[in-house]
Amino acid sequence: MLLQMKGVEKRFGGVTALRQGDLEIRAGEVHLVMGENGAGKSTMMKIIAGMQKRDGGAMIWQGQTVDFENPKQAAQMGIAMVHQESLLAPHLSVAENIFLGREIPGPLGTVNRRKMLAEATRLIAQYGFRLQADWMVGRLSPAGKQLVEICRAIQNGTSLLIFDEPTSSLSEAETHEVFRIVRELRERGTGVIYITHRMEELRSVGDRVTILRDGATVHTEALATLTRDRMIQYMVGRAVNSIYSREPLPPGEPLLTVTGVSTPSLLRHVSLTLRAGEIVGLGGLMGAGRTELCRAIFGLDPVSSGTVEVDGRPLALRNPREAVAAGIALIPEDRQRTGLARDLPIGWNVTMANLDAVSPGGVIRHPEEERVTREAIDRLRIRCENGRQRAGRLSGGNQQKVVISKWVNRGARVFLFDEPTRGIDVGAKVEVFAVMDELARQGAAILMVSSELPELLQVADRILVMSQGHLVGELPRGCSQEDIMRLATAPPESGDLLQ
Amino acid sequence: MIKRLLPFLALLTLFVALSIASPSFLTSQNLSSVVRQTAVFNTLALGMTLIIISGGIDLSVGSIVALGGLGGTMAMAKGVPIPLGVLLGIATGLLCGLLNGILITQLRIIPFIVTLGMMGVLRGLALIISDGMPVHDVPKGFQFLGEGTVFGFPFVLVVLIACAVLVHFILEHTRLGRYVFAIGSNAEAAVYAGIPVNFHTVAIYALCGGLAGLAGLIEASRLSTGQPTAGQGYELQAIAAVVIGGGSLRGGEGTVIGTLVGGFIMGLLANGSDLLGINPYVQQALIGAMIIVFVAVDELRKRRVPS
Repeated sequence: MLLQMKGVEKRFGGVTALRQGDLEIRAGEVHLVMGENGAGKSTMMKIIAGMQKRDGGAMIWQGQTVDFENPKQAAQMGIAMVHQESLLAPHLSVAENIFLGREIPGPLGTVNRRKMLAEATRLIAQYGFRLQADWMVGRLSPAGKQLVEICRAIQNGTSLLIFDEPTSSLSEAETHEVFRIVRELRERGTGVIYITHRMEELRSVGDRVTILRDGATVHTEALATLTRDRMIQYMVGRAVNSIYSREPLPPGEPLLTVTGVSTPSLLRHVSLTLRAGEIVGLGGLMGAGRTELCRAIFGLDPVSSGTVEVDGRPLALRNPREAVAAGIALIPEDRQRTGLARDLPIGWNVTMANLDAVSPGGVIRHPEEERVTREAIDRLRIRCENGRQRAGRLSGGNQQKVVISKWVNRGARVFLFDEPTRGIDVGAKVEVFAVMDELARQGAAILMVSSELPELLQVADRILVMSQGHLVGELPRGCSQEDIMRLATAPPESGDLLQ
Repeated sequence: MIKRLLPFLALLTLFVALSIASPSFLTSQNLSSVVRQTAVFNTLALGMTLIIISGGIDLSVGSIVALGGLGGTMAMAKGVPIPLGVLLGIATGLLCGLLNGILITQLRIIPFIVTLGMMGVLRGLALIISDGMPVHDVPKGFQFLGEGTVFGFPFVLVVLIACAVLVHFILEHTRLGRYVFAIGSNAEAAVYAGIPVNFHTVAIYALCGGLAGLAGLIEASRLSTGQPTAGQGYELQAIAAVVIGGGSLRGGEGTVIGTLVGGFIMGLLANGSDLLGINPYVQQALIGAMIIVFVAVDELRKRRVPS
């Protein structure tokens, strides 16, 4: 037994984040930890990695009770963590980041750069990463940063490695890369804890699963015997239709028409039409240009050629203001950074894109704003104390609903959802889908970018696939994951159907 | 809750303590002089509150104090009527602020750098137009702004309260104020929401500049001269008042009431030290330490609650 957590507790002020955290990790096993947001997974992992101190319970590492004061102590015992959000220094090189805080010393208190570079190169080669030790980390893709994080963690004699949702920002191919590393670690006898929301990818990597709910461990079982439906039941404490399904509507008039849009950086002659009442999926690998397409339509990135029309009226594509005025909404991929004003009240977020409606003459009518906020909270079933609560205090799913409600309140008719379910739990995902469905029923046109193929298959009426900046194909409802992947990985020249 | 309360309690404690410690504290003469002494940087702090909530900073307000004061007094010296001279001084500040805002939004340089540069440029301009000499030839009536009384209260208090009410109204009840919070809390989300971020950024820098121009006139009125060297270091006092009052340099947080409380805490500290005969060198250190204490307490409070 590598690690035992027994009845571990953690409180923050009056809030109990973990009340009964139990976990056992064997050497050489990949142990999945699952649970909805706020179930206590991250808190438990931070305690294991020495980032937080527990308030109660026992933590036994290789037979001995341990108390870590800081992550460095945990690292010395052989415990390391790969973080979900990159904690790297963007202005330093890959090698410098790998050795950050434990630089190889040179003479007279200097740092031996050459040796660090050589060590890092060796490490990268050992795992076959597509990285170079002297690259600047700030220039790397999210996947590249993740690899650097992994290198940092597995440097020397790590016997337990914790992955906090390692693949949530990665494409399918990159995910397989991470899995390959996880398997390799297992073969070397390293224990791996792997937090994830993406159930469909678990089967190929995990040995056992521990599920947390409301700050307590509720179940541990071998992954091979645990069905998906039971897993969801343990997570949410109730039965959920594990597969969301929606009845598509007959599509109405075209709302958004994109014709031959190219950008200097990536997009090449992309054309598509969204009709009222439609949810159109947009699939493809990371870097295929899906986010870039949304940004171009929304006026965030310059377009070198092509046109975008809403209701037959062309947009100048200069700034988001114009797109917003035309009725386009973008629910961005990076909710924390670009979607939500975390420190502001929910109500202020709700009215942000349509403040004019509650502020005739520039003066805000507070009762009116509160009414609008209450309506939005009811309509999207945002779980909160009241509209004055800070938006950042909500769970991921409810934060996403606040972002969506901003656009519903604006009366937007074309919704661009970029990875709308990233980092939110199962229950909230289904609710987000229900909101999308409702919007479609009220005549909105929806483009939904998702890297999770089952989601696309369940929600979208038809699926467009992008590859290397080209729109390479369209698939009907009822196609398979394999169909999507085949298009997404095809070289664009051979499959350029929609030019 | 605690956050809004803490500076208040500190101000109250300070007030009570000084009333007990010094018999000459609780006199209308002394309190008036506190109000007059703090009027200039309190006015600056009001504008700075807007800027800091928007996530920016304005280091040039001290130089605008000199330029605004000079603009007004030089006009009056040439025979322009007093009210028009005052308006000219405010307009001078407004123009400087406008320029700050335009440079920040058009060159996309961070406010710290733009206003640091403008601090030098405007100070130089003040020295150039005045040839480095103070303007003494100021009409007698102009002194009323800084030194006059209405119903026994210093006239500057009336001016300060009027400005405070205006800025408070803007922040809490207008679209402009809401956008200030939105930009300061998450500028990128504000752009995504279709908010005209540049326009509103320019507007608040102009407003801050206008208030700094007014502060410059108050200073000139108190000194009865337009001084090209007036207002040096005032920008830091204004920032300190905002921060003590709960404003966050990360943006998105701050209130007008907090700022005024912060300003008066600093004013009372200075006044109290004078009354109690505390060495002015110690005074400086004391006020500096207060800034750190207030922000530290605020940070500790935030850290107790998980994000």
